[in-house]
Amino acid sequence: MSHDSHHAPVACKTELAPERSDLGLYRPDRATGWTDWLTTVDHKKIGIMYGAFAMLYFLIGGVEALAIRTQLARPDNDFITARMYNQLFTMHGTTMIFLGVMPLSAAFFNFLVPLQVGARDVAFPRLNAFSLWTFVFGAFVLNASWLFEFGHLAGWFDSFAWHKALVYTDFAPANGWFSYAPLSGTFGANGQALRFTGVGTDFWIIGIQILGIASLAASFNFICTIINMRAKGMTMMRLPVFTWMTLVTSVLIILAFPAITVALIELMFDRAFGANFFNPSAGGQPVLWQHLFWIFGHPEVYILVLPAMGIVSEVLPTFTGKSLFGYPIIVFSGAVIGFLGFAVWSHHMFTTGLGPVPTAAFSLLTMAIAVPTGVKIFNWLGTIWGGRIRFTPPMVLALGFIWMFMCGGFSGVMHSSAPADSQQQDSYFVIAHFHYVLLGGVLLGLMAGLYFWFPKIFGRMPNAPVAYLGSALVILGFNLAFGPMHYLGLAGQPRRTHTYHAGNGWETWNLVATIGAYVLGIGVVIVFGNLVWTAFRGKKCGNDPWDGRTLEWSLPSPVPEYNFAQAPVVATRDAFFEHKHGAKRIGAENDGGEAGVHMPSQSWMPMLASAGFLFIGFGMPMMAMGIPHAGWLVIAGLGVLFLGVWLWALEGPGGYMLKTPAPAGAPAPAETVAR
Amino acid sequence: MSDHAAAHEAPTSTGIDHKKLIMWLFLASDCMFFGTLISTHLLYRKLFPAGFTDAEGHQRFIQELFSIELTSFSTFILLMSSFLMALAVSAMHKGQLKSFRRNVLGVIVFGLIFLGCQVYEFTHFYHKGLTIQNSVLGSTFYVLTGTHGTHVAIGVLWLILLYFYSFTGKLGGHMGALDVEVAGLYWHFVDIVWIIIFTAVYLVEYLGPYGIWGSGLPAVLK
Repeated sequence: MSHDSHHAPVACKTELAPERSDLGLYRPDRATGWTDWLTTVDHKKIGIMYGAFAMLYFLIGGVEALAIRTQLARPDNDFITARMYNQLFTMHGTTMIFLGVMPLSAAFFNFLVPLQVGARDVAFPRLNAFSLWTFVFGAFVLNASWLFEFGHLAGWFDSFAWHKALVYTDFAPANGWFSYAPLSGTFGANGQALRFTGVGTDFWIIGIQILGIASLAASFNFICTIINMRAKGMTMMRLPVFTWMTLVTSVLIILAFPAITVALIELMFDRAFGANFFNPSAGGQPVLWQHLFWIFGHPEVYILVLPAMGIVSEVLPTFTGKSLFGYPIIVFSGAVIGFLGFAVWSHHMFTTGLGPVPTAAFSLLTMAIAVPTGVKIFNWLGTIWGGRIRFTPPMVLALGFIWMFMCGGFSGVMHSSAPADSQQQDSYFVIAHFHYVLLGGVLLGLMAGLYFWFPKIFGRMPNAPVAYLGSALVILGFNLAFGPMHYLGLAGQPRRTHTYHAGNGWETWNLVATIGAYVLGIGVVIVFGNLVWTAFRGKKCGNDPWDGRTLEWSLPSPVPEYNFAQAPVVATRDAFFEHKHGAKRIGAENDGGEAGVHMPSQSWMPMLASAGFLFIGFGMPMMAMGIPHAGWLVIAGLGVLFLGVWLWALEGPGGYMLKTPAPAGAPAPAETVAR
Repeated sequence: MSDHAAAHEAPTSTGIDHKKLIMWLFLASDCMFFGTLISTHLLYRKLFPAGFTDAEGHQRFIQELFSIELTSFSTFILLMSSFLMALAVSAMHKGQLKSFRRNVLGVIVFGLIFLGCQVYEFTHFYHKGLTIQNSVLGSTFYVLTGTHGTHVAIGVLWLILLYFYSFTGKLGGHMGALDVEVAGLYWHFVDIVWIIIFTAVYLVEYLGPYGIWGSGLPAVLK
């Protein structure tokens, strides 16, 4: 293949001594093994780590879901206690949203955005590493609450005095993923700060704040990368749709997360310092929590779904051999969805009694947001129409996405009608709706992305028959599990309820849903297991196994650490497809390539700074628990954070020159010189 | 913060430096942050216009607490610090390191004066009976103005570090000016937010029925 011959996979590194920072510290340089992974600033490795952690948490969240479904398989079941049930559904929701879907999307952002815009890394590589480790530590803090819960169940804490002072002993969060006040808040006048729930809520509050910092830092970085680091000729309207959706998602994150951060800070002040933001006995308004939460929470829905829409918009054209139907409309629809996403939050609150005018307004806006979503669906159908469809595993999953997401969309439009919504509120109908959107939609989309880009990430092809089997089981099990919930919800089964009595007519469909959940679980394990196997043992494949359309497919697989030996110059949308089959070639910019590519040194500092959040994350809940001197842990955490950022700022630019392979037919580059 | 030495030379797609762009993005995010806090405060002011009840059980009005002269003074100081910050950025662009140091030292001192006024104000309000725990007003007031104070404190810390860094001789050229300019963006933003807080939290309280243009505070409380 002539089109990729100018990127040979081998590159030689020049010998340069690592540079000392202002304080005489060495930055790790060309490290290998564990040091490499812990200190890396390479967006591709960071993306892979994001993906690995996300898949781990998908499995943890899945086990939590299966425990819930097992409990609900039979009426009057006592497989788990009601208290455990509350903790399980709370952590299931929180884990899937914040530790599963968002990091897996972030994995794609990290790996793909610089490749798709034609850059050698993100705008701030160390900040990117900081995002990753902050996410890792935040996720750990959130899940460490389980360790306390298990320790409590095992009786380890019985001898501690502070333990007896705890009236409510749910150590893992147990308020639902939205932690509605006043349940999550306090009661009692004059700073008594009596609580309805245990320390799990404090873990939740601090954990989500840490994860929010990770998401914010990453989003600033991606917006900068997309806006500022596009290759020559890569105009905004030539960006791949996935990159566009990353941009919209990142903008949503930076504008939506502050609302939840403030809400969490207010709740934290209520619980830890006796403030009255949501304390009804002192005049606080619990409904304010709902507003602040959903001002974040509804854009969050689009933060979850837009990346999957972007992935599908890449997969469909590739496997139909057609360019995306209505590219500008797809892009603008994504932006409109992002914009309207901020104007529909109160449809989560129709039953709180907003009054007729706001209810009508939010009904109307909610119906309106179905329009750009529908536009996208029609555009995807237009893309498939008349195409030469190849039913590869990613294509199967992407088609599943369209179908399942549409079902979720239909029940979503039903919710926009306030009178209907008041009947469906807090019933299994709602569970069915958002699982069709988030699992049938987002997870299938992300899985399609994994199967689509795995050959690029690892240079190995997933096993197709196993992939088909896994996808079929996922789609079948998913419909078995969540289809009946529409009926169960309309038949009156309330959500977040530990068990139900026999005789309501819910027995059969609950059993079916549980069986479906297990089929789904097996399917997910097969899908993920196939991927893990692929990463290590999969059959090697070429650089462009799918006949890809965007810049990343023009690179060797796996992608070399410098990405592009020469900065590409783009002349059209779908640049690589045009390069192969059309008239317009991808050019190469002569950016001093004869001296090699400047590679950044690695750094411990992002991880050090993030480690501060680990201390804060454990210190705050322990402080709320009343453990003496726990506040010092928080102060120590702030100190570590400051130290990390300070040393980070003083690190020299570092880096070394990496000689890239010579372009085909060009004379060999001159002898590499030290920087 | 960019790890690419090459990024200094390579022009960005928009012509805006990465650092400046990311600071603008952060400030956009921070707008939502303060917007939410200010909204919380104003919502509760509308719900509970009467103020709060102190430890002795007396009904108190927020105007009784305010020393508008002191707050106006600290507002003026913060505004002037922004002026000095602009001078510092300008000096840095011209490569006048000494002028930069002089001006940035002024910003630091003014920032510290502002923080001192806030500490005094918090102590004073606390002794007059407004605590974070005894009313919604106390919660929203202290958390909102305290968050702003934290922003100022971070800014002061940042500028102190920049000030000392300027003696290493490594703060210079385009990147040095950029670093100072980014710090300046942050500082100006924190200043602008204070103008909004000063208006929304302090000044509007004088417009209502108890304000200086209304009937004033009930005679018994004066």
